[in-house]
This record gives sequence, C-alpha cells and structure tokens, in this order.
Amino acid sequence: MSGAAKTVHVSLSINLKVLLADSNSERAAAVENSLSDLGNALIVRVPPGSSIYDAVIAEAPDVIIVDMARPDRDAIDDLRRANAVNPRPIVMFVDGDDRSFMEEAVAAGVCSYNVVGAALPDVKPMVMAAVAIFRKHQHVAADLAKANTSLREREAVDQAKAPLMRRHKFGEPEAYRWLRRRAMNENKRIAAVAAELLAKNSEGSEP
Amino acid sequence: MTFQLGLLRLTDSAPLIIAKELDFFAGEKIEVSLSVEPSWANMADKLGYGLLDGGVMLPPLALAVGMGLRGAPERLIVPSSVSLNGNAVTLAAPWADDLPLDRTGATSIDAARRFGTLFRRRAKKPTLAVVHTLSTHNLLLRYWLTAGGIDPDREVEFVVVPPAETVTAMREGRIDGFCAGAPWGEVAARLGLGRTVATSHAIWNYCPEKVFTIRRDLAQRRPGELQAMLRALLRAALFCDAPENAEHCAAILSREEYLGLPRDIILTSLPGTTLRRPSTSHANSDVSVFFANAATFPWRSHALWFLRQMRRWGHLDDTTDSRAAVGIYRPDLYAEAANALGLPVPSSDMKTEGERDHPWLLPAVPSPIPMGPDRFCDGTRFDPK
Repeated sequence: MSGAAKTVHVSLSINLKVLLADSNSERAAAVENSLSDLGNALIVRVPPGSSIYDAVIAEAPDVIIVDMARPDRDAIDDLRRANAVNPRPIVMFVDGDDRSFMEEAVAAGVCSYNVVGAALPDVKPMVMAAVAIFRKHQHVAADLAKANTSLREREAVDQAKAPLMRRHKFGEPEAYRWLRRRAMNENKRIAAVAAELLAKNSEGSEP
Repeated sequence: MTFQLGLLRLTDSAPLIIAKELDFFAGEKIEVSLSVEPSWANMADKLGYGLLDGGVMLPPLALAVGMGLRGAPERLIVPSSVSLNGNAVTLAAPWADDLPLDRTGATSIDAARRFGTLFRRRAKKPTLAVVHTLSTHNLLLRYWLTAGGIDPDREVEFVVVPPAETVTAMREGRIDGFCAGAPWGEVAARLGLGRTVATSHAIWNYCPEKVFTIRRDLAQRRPGELQAMLRALLRAALFCDAPENAEHCAAILSREEYLGLPRDIILTSLPGTTLRRPSTSHANSDVSVFFANAATFPWRSHALWFLRQMRRWGHLDDTTDSRAAVGIYRPDLYAEAANALGLPVPSSDMKTEGERDHPWLLPAVPSPIPMGPDRFCDGTRFDPK
C-alpha cells in the first residue's frame, strides 16, 4: 500500500468509463439511469457471477462503483499498484474534506474507486449519484422489513387471541384487552406478549 | 452505547462470537452488536468511517488503516491479539499429490522446494490465492515460497480471493493453491480438491494471526468500557482455548449467522483437535491458539515483523515510520485488563523470534508463561532491536 500517487495527471476517457458492480439488478439499473443523466459517463456493468477484478482488467475503467456486500471487493485493493496486466492503478475514492459524505456512502453500502490521478470534481458527481440511489434502496428495504414485521406482529396478536377466547370464553375485544393489560403490566409490547403466549402454547401449557 | 464489532466467517473470530453468545460482554456490563462482514475491505472501510467501532482484523491491514494509508479519517489501535497459527497453504490435488506431506510440518520447506521444482518442470506459472494483499496469509505464503527458493514476484501469480470462495475457485481450476484461515483447507480436502502442504505453524511456529482492533478515538473517550471489553475478550479467549469447550464453540460458530459450516469441519481447527483425530490422519487445518503461548498479548515485535515484511514486498514505501507505526500496538492497555483478571503479563513488549526449537518460559508478572518453539521454516532469527 504505497502512499500518494506521484503522477497527478492521467488521461481520462472523454466520456468517463464507469464500471458498475452491483448484484442487485434493479438497483444497478437505477444507478445506470442516474449516471446517464450526468451526460458524460459510459457505463459498463460487471455481469453477474463474474469477478470485479477481471472486469477492471478487461475494461480499464476510470471509475468503479461497487456494492459493499460483494465479497470479491478485496481483490480491488490489489489494483493500487500498476503492473503489466494493470497499467492504470486505481485507488479508493476519498474526499478527505467531506467526511460526512464518505460516511454516508459507506453507510449506504456503496464504495467507489478511481484511476490514480483522476480529479475529484470529475469523479465526485458520479459517486454522489450512486450513493443517492443506494440510500434510496436502503430506505425502501428498511420500510419493507418494517412492514413485514408489523404484519407478522399483527398476525401473532390475532393468533394469540384465539386460545384466550376459547379458554376464558372471552369475546375478541376482551381477548385483546387482556393482552393489552398484560403488556402494560409487564412493560412490553403487545406483539411481544402475544409471541410469548404462542410460544408457551406450543409447549403445551395454558395461558 | 452499543459497540459495533465486525468479524469474518473464520474460526479465529471465535473469541468475539463466544464473548457475545456466552454473555462475557454482558457480564462486563457492555453492549456489543456483532456484524459479519463479507470482505476485509469492508472491515477496513467501516472502521475507517466509524460504522464499526472495532473487530477481529488482519494485523497488516490494521497497521495500514492505523497509519492512515487507506485515506480514511479514523485511526486504529491494537490493544490485544486474538490468535496464533490457524492458516494453511493448500495446493490443488495435481500439485499436492506429488509433494511430501508431513503432519508436523518439519518438512514444510521441502514442500516449497519440491513445489518450485515441479512447476518449473511443468513450465507452468502457478496462480496462488491470498485473502487480501495486506494479510498475514500473503506475508507467510511469500515467506514460505522464498524459503523454498521461489521468487514470489516473478515465478508466481497472486490473486485475491475471499476465504469462503477459495474452494470454489480451486474447483473451477482458477487457482492452483491458496493460503487461507481455517477451516477452508479442511473444506477443500473433504471435497477431494486439494491438500494442505504447509500450515502457518510449520512456516513460523506460533506465528501471530488475527488482532483485535478498535478506533483510537473511542479508546481515548471510553477507557473504562474498552477495559471491560478487553476483560470479556480475555475470558472468552480462555474459554475458546480449552479443548473441553471445543464442541460447544464449534456448535455456536457453525450457526448460519456466523460461519454457516458443519461443526465437525470447524472442530478440526479448534484447540484439542489432535486429541480427537487419529494420529495417522493428515492435518488440512492449522489449529488456532487463543490464549496459551501469550496468544492475546499484542507484541510490538510482531508489529515490527509485519511492517518489515510489508516493506520487503513493496506494500509500504520508504517514507513509513516503522517505529511510530509500532505504537499502534498497545500492550499497556492489554496489561491493565490482564492485571485486573490476575492473568500474567509479559515483562517486555518485544521478543526475538526464531531462536527456540523447544518449550521455554517467558518472563512475565506475576508468573512466567510456558511457551512453545518459535522457529521459522528457513531457520533465520528475527531481532526487533
């Protein structure tokens, strides 16, 4: 891992060539669209199942955008040194003056690399566009997970009401109130009380 | 606060996983959330940008991030080591079948020499995989090749393959061998794809493997919690090192959210494996050491060895200040935690390597620590002075 690059000028392609390695094809399409809007990018996707390393060697991109969930990202760390197969060394994109943006990118699960010597103003808009898409997808995924959880929780509460109604001859509102009271007494969420009750029932004891 | 600690799917993540699952962290009243990362680069970048607070790390990569060579703003320290040994050089069957195999590893240098002769005769430049350029695996593999008269830079093609994918890469014929942590050598052997020709122990007896790293600013701001974390990790290291706990550890490690591998495969790399295995069988995993042999002590001499090897292979340039980088290792923080538990602390931060081929006693307070040999396969001596 050598220090700062000595050459500061590098001949970038007239249209920046961006290699996009994202196994989520829907998100990759969104990133590709967003980058196309910037007007000066030629986007090449790493086909599913092939290695980023091989794609970098074959395509010699100016910028690389990588989904951090990919395990073969470690191979890119090896490309910082120029050699016969890799004449254009690449380094991780770092904007040392904009720490919060860098944190945002890593938190969104995307990281970027650029050919050594590329100017920050040439590269950053690309990275910003990709980070925006990754963030958006992260939010959607989180919302979906939340929706799934609340659906499962509602189901648990509904399921827990049935044995209560049967055993205590409760009506449905009474069964719900029973669960709610117990939740308040135990300082728990209703869904948690319902889940415990269901777990106990499956072990065979009475509520 | 809840500390976010990262790890990879490897046997030597055991102390961290055990500290969490068996409530050693909870017992010290600290909250820890574990994050299983797919790559070492993720560990480095999440640590560098504060998305992880610490974790189990490759020493050369921890040193590089600690020195700021990755461009990230956060600096790291190493207040404890995690394991010794645990890696293996595994060659694909077409190579391994023609090499001498020795359980004790006494002939590991012969295996390297024979490998060189073999690939030169076959006029094939072998492709060998390591898990990261800045890894113990890369440095040990290069050390072993060099000891066998092979020029790693000219005669071998190196590729970086994540540990969990080395076996697939071997099956597809993309690589001729790999140096990776346990239990991946064992996985390759069970599939009949290759065999281990040198364990890391055979390359350097009781060589340092993973370290525990934490963000420097966090260590400064929350010294009490760091000490609690180190005590929990020391208790977990003691637990993981006891052969009678190996089954229990393997069961926890094998869970889908951690290694996601069969427990008997993981068991081959946990302490006490030689007691469980027929003496005639061949070892395809090196056995990790988690506490014995001063395994958890962050030797500054080890940091220096790594830095010298990194420079040797051009991973560091001449501007790096090795003496300052050695300061990333913090035996002082380790000593405080070990003292609190009444565990012995070595009397020096540095030790020579490659001098002893027999068990010896390391001066330590309050009592000396029994140590094993520390030979290098090429018989050289390392003096940190």
